[in-house]
Amino acid sequence: MSSPLAKPQIIAHVQKSLNYTVFDTKWIPCSAKFVCMGNFPRGTGVMQIYEVEHGDAQLIKEVEKPKPIKCGTFGATSLQQRHIATGDFEGNLNIWNLEMPEVPVYTVKAHKEIVNSIDAVGGLGIGDGAPEIVTGSRDGTVKVWDPRQKDSPVANMEPIEGETKRDCWTVAFGHAFNDQDRCVCAGYDNGDIKLFDLRNMSLRWETNIKNGVCCVEFDRKDISMNKLVATSLEGKFHVFDMRTQHPTKGFASVSEKANKSTIWQVRHLPQNRDIFMTAGGAGNLHLWKYEYPAQRSKKGSDDMDVGVAGSVNLLQNATLSTQPIASLDWSPDKQGLCVCSGFDQSVRVLIVTKLNVV
Amino acid sequence: MSADTVFSLQNQSTTIDYRGKVPVEHLDYGYIEKCKDVKYLEQILRVLRSGDEGIYPHLIKFCESHLEKLDPRSRVLRKETPVATAASLSNDEWSQIVDDLKTWQEETKKTETSLKQQSMFDDLVKENMPPIRGSNCSFPLSQTSVPKRNPSKHALPCDYREWDKFDVEKECEEIDGNSVKNDPAAIINTGHPKLKTKVDASLLTQQEKLLLSTREKDKGNEAFRAKDYEEAVAYYSRSLSIIPTLPAYNNRAQAEINLKHWHNAMRDCLRVLELEPGNMKALLRRAKVYNHMGNFQMAAEDLRVVLREEPQNAAATQLLSETEKKMKECQPEPHSKGKKILIQEVDEEDDNNNDETKAEHTACPVEPSQPVGGEESSAAPAERGDMGNAQKKPHSRGDGGPHSDFTNSHQGHWRSRGGSSDKYKVTQESKEKVANGTGKSGSTASVPADHSNNGKETPARGNAGETVNLDAPCGALPPPLARLKNEGNLLFKNGQFADALEKYSQAIQGFIDSGIDSPEDLCILYSNRAACYLKDGNSQECIQDCTRALELQSFSLKPLLRRAMAYESMERYRQAYVDYKTVLQIDTSVQSAHDSVNRITRLLIEQDGPEWREKLPDIPLVPLSAQQHRREGPPSAEVLKARAEKAAIDAERKAEVRFTALKQEGNDFVKKGQYSDALGKYTECLKLKPEECAIYTNRALCYLKLDRFTEAKQDCDAALKVEPTNKKAFYRRALANKGLKDYLACSSDLQEVLQQDPNVQEAEKELEEVTVLLRQSLASANASPAKPRTTVPITEVEGDEEPAGAPASESSRRGEDIIVNLQPTDACQFGQALNAARCSRNTAACADLLASTAPEMLPKFLSTHLDGDNISFIIQALDYHLLEKDPNLVYQHLNNLHTTDRFSVVLMLLEKNERLHVTQLFEHLSAVQSTEFTKNDVQNLANKYI
Repeated sequence: MSSPLAKPQIIAHVQKSLNYTVFDTKWIPCSAKFVCMGNFPRGTGVMQIYEVEHGDAQLIKEVEKPKPIKCGTFGATSLQQRHIATGDFEGNLNIWNLEMPEVPVYTVKAHKEIVNSIDAVGGLGIGDGAPEIVTGSRDGTVKVWDPRQKDSPVANMEPIEGETKRDCWTVAFGHAFNDQDRCVCAGYDNGDIKLFDLRNMSLRWETNIKNGVCCVEFDRKDISMNKLVATSLEGKFHVFDMRTQHPTKGFASVSEKANKSTIWQVRHLPQNRDIFMTAGGAGNLHLWKYEYPAQRSKKGSDDMDVGVAGSVNLLQNATLSTQPIASLDWSPDKQGLCVCSGFDQSVRVLIVTKLNVV
Repeated sequence: MSADTVFSLQNQSTTIDYRGKVPVEHLDYGYIEKCKDVKYLEQILRVLRSGDEGIYPHLIKFCESHLEKLDPRSRVLRKETPVATAASLSNDEWSQIVDDLKTWQEETKKTETSLKQQSMFDDLVKENMPPIRGSNCSFPLSQTSVPKRNPSKHALPCDYREWDKFDVEKECEEIDGNSVKNDPAAIINTGHPKLKTKVDASLLTQQEKLLLSTREKDKGNEAFRAKDYEEAVAYYSRSLSIIPTLPAYNNRAQAEINLKHWHNAMRDCLRVLELEPGNMKALLRRAKVYNHMGNFQMAAEDLRVVLREEPQNAAATQLLSETEKKMKECQPEPHSKGKKILIQEVDEEDDNNNDETKAEHTACPVEPSQPVGGEESSAAPAERGDMGNAQKKPHSRGDGGPHSDFTNSHQGHWRSRGGSSDKYKVTQESKEKVANGTGKSGSTASVPADHSNNGKETPARGNAGETVNLDAPCGALPPPLARLKNEGNLLFKNGQFADALEKYSQAIQGFIDSGIDSPEDLCILYSNRAACYLKDGNSQECIQDCTRALELQSFSLKPLLRRAMAYESMERYRQAYVDYKTVLQIDTSVQSAHDSVNRITRLLIEQDGPEWREKLPDIPLVPLSAQQHRREGPPSAEVLKARAEKAAIDAERKAEVRFTALKQEGNDFVKKGQYSDALGKYTECLKLKPEECAIYTNRALCYLKLDRFTEAKQDCDAALKVEPTNKKAFYRRALANKGLKDYLACSSDLQEVLQQDPNVQEAEKELEEVTVLLRQSLASANASPAKPRTTVPITEVEGDEEPAGAPASESSRRGEDIIVNLQPTDACQFGQALNAARCSRNTAACADLLASTAPEMLPKFLSTHLDGDNISFIIQALDYHLLEKDPNLVYQHLNNLHTTDRFSVVLMLLEKNERLHVTQLFEHLSAVQSTEFTKNDVQNLANKYI
């Protein structure tokens, strides 16, 4: 941020009003199209595909589904297939071929209750190893699925008998830098963040950020864990440096408050892992940059390595609406292009400029 | 307020507890200006903004600006900004963004279509996937590998009520703080030791490879920015293992430099320079490496090249001064080992030689076997580049440079007389190599070595050698002319350009007078005189001489190069550009030409804008015979791969251009009605790109116009294979079918068109017409005695039009309804037949269709048409018609049907009454006695359906 001119600008490019509540939007990789998922007022689910063209978003396809769709991801599919995996209000995990969306390619009753969050890795050339999908649900479980295996999950993280079931609000993959290593991070309504190591099938780390965890995301899924951002209900977000794990202190973190309202989502820029955008409950977006400290770890007084957190810089902010922005997705192909949708029943395509110079 | 009070207040402010109220007195310009306490200022600002004490917009602004000075990142200063729109940007900026977006959209469209076309290779990729994780491992949430925290802390997970009580600030401090604990060692996630540096991308398509390699490179860049250089190197290596690219090599070089892996860095720099000889970054980085390896001479060389291109490059300037300082500190040793031969040949006072000795010497500890060392030898082309530069800008490099090129060539000339100019060039090169080898001058040393060989050595040898040389025979030149030429050469060497000019002019005059027929020699004379003119700064004459020389010997290197330099000096950049380009076509290793092309390109872009290329005169195409490709050493596999990629991309681009041109021509012919001409063009188009749907449909149109229906139909089929929903293809196939008098197929195609777009009036009209025709044909067929259920198709088309062994022969028969009777040979025909039958709910027709279909082919045929309706329709057909006729066939069909892709999914979606049909069928089937299957088999099969 040398001069105000070098500051990135968040520009509203296209705005589209919808006749349904949209929960999630995702770019279709290698295209100028995105998918909106949500529910119609009459209680059915809907998927719409839009194509950005000549400064407008053209509706290409609309499919109605019996159950409202909460979330979706392209992370486990190949670039040629580009099948979308979705989670719905009934707890079903479906994989759709968007060319022929009438019948799911894969379907499973994944959870007893709504699938709040979904993430996937191993497709699109992102992340080594098998394609896997993780779902987090209100029933308190986090399950990992392999699209090649029907009916049962490949890993299941559930509270033991008698334990209170917490609502899992968000899940994210990370650490998938070779065939074996892989981690799942889950955030719960009570502020718990749990990091599961899928290689050792164990809980690797947990912490509590005092407020419901709305969204967690690793800065990159396919590298050795570097950073994790967790956003919370009361407007704060935490950036954890995931490189150095102290046996008791865990990971070092820095927290920052974007706004008084909930931060619904955080998304890292696919072209630069140190830049991320948070979407807030007051309809605002904040663009941040993480600055590394001079030394990322130091010797603690117990002679053990302890991580050092860096700092977070606000690059730009913008207010889009009075309603929360519930989903946000950067285009994986075009730097600075992103799509976001809010509870004002509209979807917006934004352009963020000068991201290459910050 | 007096200064005193302000002072005391300020002192107070250090002890102010921030939760307290801000006194009204503090809301004052004077106080705010003096206040240095950021936290307190923030509080003042909050009070001011709240308006509790009244609203003072100017004071607020003042307070903000003051706070910004103290702490520009203060959170209080963050303001909500509305989202920007196109209007909030300048026109230029916005149009740039829009253009950028537009080009991206077009590109992605292309990428997408190419991705779609490649989708058949999916299965290959799958085989390469890692296995499914050990199934359904479940582990409880609360079990933790980390020992439980201090009991004074909350046991996690905690309850809603508990986290209400938390003091957030305190907790945060605790997390960040240094409270000491015991227990096992910290885990440090440094990914790189376990990171594979090679990626197996052999099964991926070009598109995917490109994306993947860019992604790996980006990851490298990010790691680099986080100062994690080892990881960065690993990711760059991964990127390179997928597709080798310049930037990845260049970046890896920088990362290696930061890790102090000099040799690896050097290797990467050399690869970059091999791929793109003038790459500034690589030169700068190589200079850095040389500098660290103690090879200051080489470092200085590289830096000078960089500075010549980018005089304001600060890093290069700094490094150069550093290098030069180090160079002075290092005193040369007069006699080093391995230098003997060179010293014997060269005068010892030669200061160039001193430099060289030192360079050699200092390099020795690193590269003991310098002359043949792998790195050095691969460096050679680039080193020669340095020499090329010397030719180009002689005056900046002392007087050694200009001579080297000139005299060198002529020495080569004397020693082994080459008849043609091609040979002439080769001998020069070989001479250079000889000098490099015997002189052990390594690489940069070649310049001084040449210089000493020619400039100083010759006089040192004395006049004896000179006179011998002067009478040396020169090709077909008679002795007096040869002598004139040699004298000219000598004078030129000594820098007496005007005298040399005179000698050459005399020689040329004498040559023309004597009427000798030896264009090669005349060419050389002109070329040499051109060099003299060039040295004298008489560019006009130089150009004339070069042009004459080129008329005699087209595509000879030296006159071209000289003319280019002359043009450049006259600022006629376009002509210069063309000449340099021609030079490069003849010999790509001429470094000076590369450099000049780069420089001129920049100038031309400045001068003519982005369309500068259009203003260029044509660059002549150099025949292969005149091209000289010489590179030392076989290039590494990766470099070869990179070159191949580059070539492939170029070829693709060329094909693309040719393709569009052909297509355009074809379209023009169609407009003019010259269909057979257009046909040829389209056929050529398809040779270039067999996957282009539009061309197939266009060619089909031509065939239709020429009444070649069979070909038209084939083209439509091909188009539909590429793009299964192409309206035009359907419509044209309908017309073709009509021409072939296959009215049923025609009508089904037309229906398909109308289904996709009900507004196509032509299709509607055609459909009406065809229906009438169909009736007639069916009626006539009915009259014929072909009564029984025919598996032998009745072909109504002219036999000679259908090529032997043609895939399909369709016919139709007249019943009460349309009865589909055909022998499907592919999924498409089967689907059409099935659809036709289903549309009329004609289960009998479907039964016929199934009867004529081999059961084992059914899953293949049905795969794309599998849906609930079709399944229940087939089941009904089997039940009502086929079961009584041929229960075995029914069994076999059922046995195969459930193996169809997605069958289980579709089955789940069946309606209740549809399920009933299935149950009925199995009941009927189990009632049948057969030798081919037992009741048990039926039961097993039924389990798969119900």
